[in-house]
Amino acid sequence: MKQILIAFAALAAFGAAEVSLAQSTNAKDDMELLVSQIQADKRAVVLSAMQLTDAEVAAFTPVYDKYQADMKKQFESAVEMLNKFAANYGSMTDDAAKKMLKEWFALVDDENDLVQSTAKRMGKVLPPTKVVRFVQIENKLNTVMRLPAVRAIPLAE
Amino acid sequence: MRFGPLALALLMTAFVPLAQAQNAGLATDEQILLRQVNTDKKALYATNLGLTEEESAKFWPLYDEYEAKVKPLQDRLLANINSFAEKYDTLSDAEAAAILKEKMAIEKEREALKQKYTAKIAKELPPKKALRYAQLETRIQNMLARDIYGIIPLAR
Repeated sequence: MKQILIAFAALAAFGAAEVSLAQSTNAKDDMELLVSQIQADKRAVVLSAMQLTDAEVAAFTPVYDKYQADMKKQFESAVEMLNKFAANYGSMTDDAAKKMLKEWFALVDDENDLVQSTAKRMGKVLPPTKVVRFVQIENKLNTVMRLPAVRAIPLAE
Repeated sequence: MRFGPLALALLMTAFVPLAQAQNAGLATDEQILLRQVNTDKKALYATNLGLTEEESAKFWPLYDEYEAKVKPLQDRLLANINSFAEKYDTLSDAEAAAILKEKMAIEKEREALKQKYTAKIAKELPPKKALRYAQLETRIQNMLARDIYGIIPLAR
């Protein structure tokens, strides 16, 4: 179940992009590769959808790349949490369930804070309509990409 | 442009069979539709949480309290979407900033409410059931968000 959850976590954080993985026998290496590929694909999709001028692209990309780097750190924390969930699944104690809820909600708060702070930073270099557009694109991509993963993670028992 | 009722209709179709949707007057009566969504959501929890009678007696009052507090946030979200729709073709920078601020404020309040009530539920039910509740709520929120975000055009 552990490796399955790692895959789900990758989907949950960055989506179900079609990627061809190297022939690695190491699940962690595979995941790193998958995340890098998905991040690169997502960056291209976002840049295309943003319809920025050259000057705006120059202002947007450093803020976006920092955002993606921070998202990656949060994704790693999510993987760690899901691995704990997998390890405890079927024999989860009340304390473990409480701890998991606490960690999960902290991650959600961190992600929401990251989107908000990124939007603020973008607001300093782009017009507000473009910032709205960025948040809309992120929302669309995140919800579409995460849904299969959210559904696939089994309910606590 | 007006896509609020359409967003709500999509939100509703996640739970309501088409025949019922047509009977409810799909694009005209938003309050009825929201009530229907909430009723179906309740049935979904009843089926999936596997509560004992004792647990049910503790859970449902908290659930109803939570849903009552979520309702004004749903109304604000819909008003914000409608505001975006009305101003879409001539959206100024100030209007865009205000709409984004309101959207983020609603999301923050909604998440805080979910966490607060999940903590309350975890005090009354076994924590695993509270975790299960939070998983279901997240699945539902994600599904609805995908449908709503999917039909709202990007700002220009």
